Amino acid sequence: MQKMDKKIGGEMYKVVAQCVDDKIWIHMNGETIVLDAEVSTGRRRGKSSGKDAKSNVILAPMPGKITKLFKKQGELVVIGESVLVMEAMKMEYTLKANINGTIKKVAFKEGDQVVLGAQIVDIEPAKEV
Amino acid sequence: MKKSDLSNLAIKRLAIANRGEVAVRIIKACEELGIETVLLHSDADINSRAYRMADHKVCIGGSLPAESYLNIKSNVHGALAKNADAIHPGFGFLSENADFAQACTEAGLIFVGPSADAIRSLGDKVHCKELAKKCGIPLVPGYEGEDQSVEKLSQEAERIGYPVIVKAAAGGGGRGMKLITNLADARERIESAQRESLSAFGSAKVFLEKYLDRAKHIEFQVFGDSVGKVRHLFERECSVQRRHQKIIEEATSPSLTPELRRKMGEAAILIAQTAGYRSAGTVEFLFQDNEFYLLEVNTRLQVEHPVTEMVLGIDLVKAQILNACKNFIFSEDQYKSFQGHSIECRVYAENSYAGGMPSTGKLGHVYFPEGPGRRFEYGFEEGDVITSFYDPMIAKVIVWDESRPRAIQKMIEVLNQSIIFGVHTNIPYLKAILSHPEFIAGTMTTQFIGKYFAEPIKPPTRSTEMNAFIEEIKKAMTKPPVSKTSSMGEGYQNPWTEYWRIC
Repeated sequence: MQKMDKKIGGEMYKVVAQCVDDKIWIHMNGETIVLDAEVSTGRRRGKSSGKDAKSNVILAPMPGKITKLFKKQGELVVIGESVLVMEAMKMEYTLKANINGTIKKVAFKEGDQVVLGAQIVDIEPAKEV
Repeated sequence: MKKSDLSNLAIKRLAIANRGEVAVRIIKACEELGIETVLLHSDADINSRAYRMADHKVCIGGSLPAESYLNIKSNVHGALAKNADAIHPGFGFLSENADFAQACTEAGLIFVGPSADAIRSLGDKVHCKELAKKCGIPLVPGYEGEDQSVEKLSQEAERIGYPVIVKAAAGGGGRGMKLITNLADARERIESAQRESLSAFGSAKVFLEKYLDRAKHIEFQVFGDSVGKVRHLFERECSVQRRHQKIIEEATSPSLTPELRRKMGEAAILIAQTAGYRSAGTVEFLFQDNEFYLLEVNTRLQVEHPVTEMVLGIDLVKAQILNACKNFIFSEDQYKSFQGHSIECRVYAENSYAGGMPSTGKLGHVYFPEGPGRRFEYGFEEGDVITSFYDPMIAKVIVWDESRPRAIQKMIEVLNQSIIFGVHTNIPYLKAILSHPEFIAGTMTTQFIGKYFAEPIKPPTRSTEMNAFIEEIKKAMTKPPVSKTSSMGEGYQNPWTEYWRIC
């Protein structure tokens, strides 16, 4: 852990920084900033959740347990429809489809523990009409 | 001299059936009372502050709560194996489980809390409502029937009128609680609540209640002493809730007049006294348009108990333990008035900028800025791992000051200076809430978060100069410190060699 004082734009910042595993954590004047420690090599890191972009896969946004699957292989889904429920830290989170399509593959069953980023469901996108 | 020689209490060695910050809180109270401690812990919790602090420890099972912290037999056997004479259940887990209280008593252990019968009559929300009706305490319209079929529950939701809330009968803390706004949602929400309830409390029983849309959450701390006298210890307001989980609590409420405080306090005492309540408990009310409705009674210590302690100068955990030793009697003039204002923020391991996504991992540097009227309750330190097995609450920050505005100001500054590395926290989110005009005015309701903080908060924007500096730190931290004659080339100055102090 390192500490320093730094003047930026006329204001004094008290900075504390530390590497924890592969991340750099910086605290300065009430704000915590997290960066990837590795120097960018142009390699793209996997998307964490695929929540923002249209995605034909549903990834586990956190480690946890699958408590309910609403859809089976071959069933249709529409945008915003609940596909499964995960439980982590004693709370339930419903994961929804963000494209229209057909369930191509469900890689886990109810009760399974999944790791962060596990690909739980594959969706075959519907053809644009 | 052995620690236990200092104590002439009935309890010489107390087992703690809990983890995290509350286990630490109980250990500290025991240390002060000269009582030895036994930590009943899971596989996952050997890297925790409570584990390092406890005098004795027993691993009672696997990391999943059902295998350890929710297992009555394992907890009782663990306590007996280490010759404990009492068990403190903390909050959550088995703290409101009457069977656990009974199992402890039957095994010859003192249960630090109310009797199994009191837990049964007040802790079960359905029974509690029947008792409230008998006492003439107003209730929110709802359905508390034995028919637990999804069809019946959906019908009743229609009858009560949306929005309707579905809750775990054995629950608390927001788990197994869902909001139903129309018939189309009803089935999914009811089933979800039943599943959460079963997984968190071991019972799928739920009930329905009309959802008041601009109510405040105001709760009264009650305490039944060793001679059966129940007193109220003023109220806390906990209107700042997300998904029915409290985030910020304060004592006292900025919304109660002395007259309402008296009426609600009397109602709280009445229901507790009727149930023969001993030890610490909380009577929760919803408060809307100057009317109050009994919500539920929590037959245990609450997460937010410190704010009451701060304004009254009481130690509720010690009071519980002394009471369990039949050694706590209120004197007439004690705790009759409060002083100043206290606020508690729950620090959750979650990403403020990603809508509260849970964050797990190994903790790095942890620092809390000590000072007058500041209190930090935490269960994990640098090197400990925050896992996904348990509640995401990793610390509580509590402040006291002479007025509410000053307490808010102090809390913001304390959060600014608090450092937690290794997992994301909700600290930015907490600061945004504390700075919101409605919170500052004290007029927030339980709708506050849904209304103003439904969307993830945005990360702050930074100047070009600031971004350049952050890049500089990143480079310095990524590459090990190098001398001036390094291969970094002419003109490159490692900020480390210039101004970093290595701690």
